[in-house]
Amino acid sequence: MSLLCKNIAFTYSGAENPIFADVSFHLSAPGFHSFSGPSGVGKTSLAKIIAGDITSYSGEVSTNGLQTILYSHNKERLPGWSNVDRHLNQVILPSMRSQKDELIKIFGLSDCIKSRFDQLSMGQQNRVNLIRYLLQDCEVLIMDESMSNVDESTRENIILAIKAMFPHRYFIYISHNVMEVAKFCDSILVFRTNGKASPVVMIKGCNIGKGEILSPAALDATLLEIMNAS
Amino acid sequence: MLLRRVFQFFVIYFLFILGLMALKYSLNLSDYVIPAPSGIFQTLVVEYRQYSIATINTMTVAIIGQILSVIMAFVIGITGRQSTWLGSFIKVAAYNIQAYPIVALAPILFILLGDGFLTRLLIAAMICYFPVLLSVLGIMSKPIDDIEHFYRVTNRMRWQLEVKIRTFENLTQLTTVVAGSATLAVAGTIVAEFIAANAGIGYNIRIALYQSDLSKILIALFLIGITVAVYQALLELLGTAIKRAWTGR
Repeated sequence: MSLLCKNIAFTYSGAENPIFADVSFHLSAPGFHSFSGPSGVGKTSLAKIIAGDITSYSGEVSTNGLQTILYSHNKERLPGWSNVDRHLNQVILPSMRSQKDELIKIFGLSDCIKSRFDQLSMGQQNRVNLIRYLLQDCEVLIMDESMSNVDESTRENIILAIKAMFPHRYFIYISHNVMEVAKFCDSILVFRTNGKASPVVMIKGCNIGKGEILSPAALDATLLEIMNAS
Repeated sequence: MLLRRVFQFFVIYFLFILGLMALKYSLNLSDYVIPAPSGIFQTLVVEYRQYSIATINTMTVAIIGQILSVIMAFVIGITGRQSTWLGSFIKVAAYNIQAYPIVALAPILFILLGDGFLTRLLIAAMICYFPVLLSVLGIMSKPIDDIEHFYRVTNRMRWQLEVKIRTFENLTQLTTVVAGSATLAVAGTIVAEFIAANAGIGYNIRIALYQSDLSKILIALFLIGITVAVYQALLELLGTAIKRAWTGR
């Protein structure tokens, strides 16, 4: 199973120039991957192309064996007619109930799980939304700013827990937090600003897991590589 | 809400009467053109029983007509929300038909069905129906992407859930539309009675018109106004109760 994108180009309808062109990359193993780059370079558009939400692009997306690709983003809401716990129970398989309870604990949502969605803070809302996507039967989960408004230490705990609990799943994490991306991701697709020879560069991340200690030198090297690439 | 509505009606009605009186006394008009306050009060005492029964009759037709049209508007609006050929056909048909003044069809209904209950009911329902339908169509056709996205990508979206989400997200707008349609249903019923019916407050207004009796018309207007104000306030209260029960706020 792997995800292969070849020469992807996309232009918004009505726009003269493509938002990106000739984007190629290959994700050959499950794990935590990332799209990184400044706002407006096309990270979300590429994610939507991979998820099948955008079909008017050129190039080729091969999802060899990856049946279900889900795209989640930070502006999603749950319906407001019942509490978050009831909504989650309605959309997950009964076999995943124990995982749900574990995730709620790790995500720091135990105290507010009986509240309605609109009673939660933005960070809590994003975490709840992420839980329901994590508990779906999918091979690839794209997380577009899915943890915005969540504090740094909770975010770290969440990423480490996700990596440990779903080792066979592909994650594409879209974030502007370069430090986080460098630290936790296996591969980082850096979108480059206009004028560079190649529109994207794939960089190897530090990919640390639970209990692993990251050497500052390795992190610095990865950060430097991302900086140079962008 | 109920008291506020009634109070607002009283203010408007008595301002209107004051305006009439100002006109009467400033232009020195006779009681035949604009009756004196004592004449209006006397008519109230004489006619209130008959006019109250007639108003209840009208309101019964209007309420049944409104319920029918709201049910119909929701059924058609929910069917027409889809981007299928049927949905597009319903939308185009609704937008075109609503542009036609339905009240102009009233004489045809009276010719075909006579001047009984059914004709009044049909006219009330038809006048009330299209504005409600257009609102329901507009609301039901507009996706709530930030909620619906998850259900779509995980193949959990069913039409019932889609309707539930869109209804919930537009509850305030829908309850306002339904409460507002009460006025349309009453207007439709009165117009029907005015044209050719043999019962209801519109029929009594028609008789008063032939008698050139403004007192009777003013009493009829008072009874219609107060009844519609109470009915609308009750609908709004019902809407608030539904909202509170569903949203928990």
